[in-house]
Amino acid sequence: MDETTFQVDTRGAFSMPENHKFDAGFGLTEATIDYICDAKGEPDWLRQFRKDALKKFNEMPMPYHWAPEGIRNVDFENFRYYLSHGATPSRNWDEVPEDMKRTFERLGVPEQERAFLAGVDAQYDSETAYTNMREELQKQGVIFVNSTEGLKEYEHIFRPWFGKVIPVGDNKFSALNHAAFSGGSFIYVPKGVKLAQPLQAYFRINSESMGQFERTLIIADEGAELMYMEGCTAPQYDSATLHSGVVELVALKGAKIQYVTVQNWSTNVYNLVIQRGLAMEDAEIRWIDCNLGSGLTMKYPAVVLQGRRARGEVVSISLAHSGQLQDTGARMIHAAPETTSNIVAKSISIGEGRASYRGEVKVLKGMKGCKNNTECDALLINTASRTDTYPAITVNGNASAVQHEASVSQVDEEMLFYLQQRGLTRAQAMSLAVNGFINDLVKEFPMEYSVELRRLIDLEMEDSIG
Amino acid sequence: MDFPDSMSMEEAFALAEAEAKLNAALAESKARFENAVIPDRLNEDWRFGRPHKYARELAELLQSNTPCTGSAEVQGCDEEAVIINADDDDLKQTEMLMPTIGSDALLGLHLKRFGNGYALYLEKSYDSPIIINYRSSGLYTPSTFIMAAPGVHAHIIENIHCENGATIFAARNIQVAEGAKLKVELHAFCPGVEQVQGRCMVITNVQNMGGEVRHLTNFLNLDWAREETVAEIYAEGSDTQLYSSNTPLEHMVLDQHTRQVHHVGKAVSNLLYKNVLEDKTTATFAGNIYVAPGAHNTDAYQSNRNLMISEYATVNSLPGLEILADKVRCSHGSASGPMDEEQLFYLLSRGIPRHEAHQLIALGFVEEVDNKFNAPF
Repeated sequence: MDETTFQVDTRGAFSMPENHKFDAGFGLTEATIDYICDAKGEPDWLRQFRKDALKKFNEMPMPYHWAPEGIRNVDFENFRYYLSHGATPSRNWDEVPEDMKRTFERLGVPEQERAFLAGVDAQYDSETAYTNMREELQKQGVIFVNSTEGLKEYEHIFRPWFGKVIPVGDNKFSALNHAAFSGGSFIYVPKGVKLAQPLQAYFRINSESMGQFERTLIIADEGAELMYMEGCTAPQYDSATLHSGVVELVALKGAKIQYVTVQNWSTNVYNLVIQRGLAMEDAEIRWIDCNLGSGLTMKYPAVVLQGRRARGEVVSISLAHSGQLQDTGARMIHAAPETTSNIVAKSISIGEGRASYRGEVKVLKGMKGCKNNTECDALLINTASRTDTYPAITVNGNASAVQHEASVSQVDEEMLFYLQQRGLTRAQAMSLAVNGFINDLVKEFPMEYSVELRRLIDLEMEDSIG
Repeated sequence: MDFPDSMSMEEAFALAEAEAKLNAALAESKARFENAVIPDRLNEDWRFGRPHKYARELAELLQSNTPCTGSAEVQGCDEEAVIINADDDDLKQTEMLMPTIGSDALLGLHLKRFGNGYALYLEKSYDSPIIINYRSSGLYTPSTFIMAAPGVHAHIIENIHCENGATIFAARNIQVAEGAKLKVELHAFCPGVEQVQGRCMVITNVQNMGGEVRHLTNFLNLDWAREETVAEIYAEGSDTQLYSSNTPLEHMVLDQHTRQVHHVGKAVSNLLYKNVLEDKTTATFAGNIYVAPGAHNTDAYQSNRNLMISEYATVNSLPGLEILADKVRCSHGSASGPMDEEQLFYLLSRGIPRHEAHQLIALGFVEEVDNKFNAPF
């Protein structure tokens, strides 16, 4: 099989001319933070909070250890930290500025909203351009706003949980996000409210050298249930773009949160995202994660199982083609007895692509009856493809069971031969085989996304086989 | 360089080239030791290994004036076993070129104390096992070199007796030529239960040039044990098997690191490390399978199993894979869990007392390792 370059979904590969009311310029200093705070009209405590975080960010070393090499190339001076039209999102597509509206229309966001979503939050560079939610949900007390509005209007709910799941000093990128965050969603689902339809966020980077630092906090009160989906795209520029979001989930007693990501950034984007959820008693958090784009992804969705019988799950698909390093994985911290977790990760490496699984499973001292199951499977398509697995498992005590399994394989020649003999082209056969490999995981995605995923993978396979 | 007259031009070139390559490797190796730092918390290969305690204390001891005191003896092999002396440059070079897993600085210190231990040049097959005994009650740094010529069959048992709180730091190089069949066992232990438990670190390099090799390690009754085993596969058709079974007790810290490096394809490697954890013991296993670019049709497996007996024991397992070739079959697995209640119930219902039932199940658990190691070739 020849290794050829491969084209990602081209739907997101366009850009609009830059037209910003606010531009904080390159680099991150106290002056940048003042600029962001002024532009957003933030209270003093938040300004101080950001500045403290900046201090921490400057003090902390880059996480070179237990991290892929590519992270050394990130240069924080070369990014723009705040670009926006203003901090107030529109509630109606007609009010959204023309170029943004056209962008999201091309990406199909409004039509999806009409079709099957309960609410949408569309972020364009640093700020949310549009947020809306169905009226009946508002009546039930569901809050779905962007993070700026969340801090302003719902400080009493937002602030107690803000930075609690992922503290400022967790790592350098967490400090960076605390200093420069803007955009992202704040969601609160009241006790017992179960959302039948998913909420969606769409992240779009339009400008060159943009640094996007969205901040999402989702709180599901006792017995609440919701599904949140995010999609990401950016145009291809010569200079690098940084996406360093922080996502915090809080599932209180008996709550259920499903968080679905389909990431299709262009390959000039560093995708360094911190996602962590806190699951209380009988709660369940599921991360469903699909990484198709970006040049370097470092993303390890985590669940801290804080209450008895809490359950965490990570389902992850990643696809690495030439020039991409998908360093993805999962973390499960069993901090309460009888907690269970499951990790299923599948990766596909095409051309010179490299896909890595990096994971951590920890059963703390004295925790009884914890169970974890981890499976990672890798598929290699070309001779130059690479895959790695780096799990770290720590078990304390004799009352928990943890198992990890990984396998690496290539597409069976006999299978391809059989399909070709039945009249399929080699590319079709390969595509079918790859789809078969991830089939059981694709099913985990909502219908609309799984159709999309299949289409993307078909497209890629067409291009990658010479 | 002088060449004998009988040598042809091609042979002379080949020899000169090999020598240049060796010199380059040695220069690189020298730089490696000069630049190496004593393992600290930033050393990825010492993750969970408490380097601030164990690596530093070992390094301090090696750097101190404490002399090496210990004895070495070989049984079952006379003329082919040679006592290493400090002037043997060939063997010293071999040790200089040995890869470590995060402990270059420590190997550098070991080299400064080079000149203890045995080299076995095995030219013929042995029916009964060859036994090497290293004993010390102070500080001792033996080196072992085992070179098995083509077609040789042998079984070597290496015992490291850490008496009365001794620190023994061993370096081992095992070379297996085409068609050779080698079994190498390493047992490091403190011989008396009432003695102060010692510390033991072993750096092993298995080079398989087309033979079949089985390597077993076992650490017992020690305060701290660290194993760094790098198996390098240089020839197609070779078979390399790494085994370990341990039952650490009391406060023992067991730190095992392995690497299966497939330089060429069409070779098989397999690893099975099993531990039964009692008391307040800690066991760390960090393994890695590396398949070099172009090493297609590799079959490599790695498995780490831990049976947790005590609620105060801790296990860290880091099974890793780095695959740069395709058409490979690689898998790894790690499982840690408590004793099977049903097995226990069965034994109890047959009238076996609880603690004996525990022992039986633990024995059965590690027995798999011994059975596989001892199975006929």
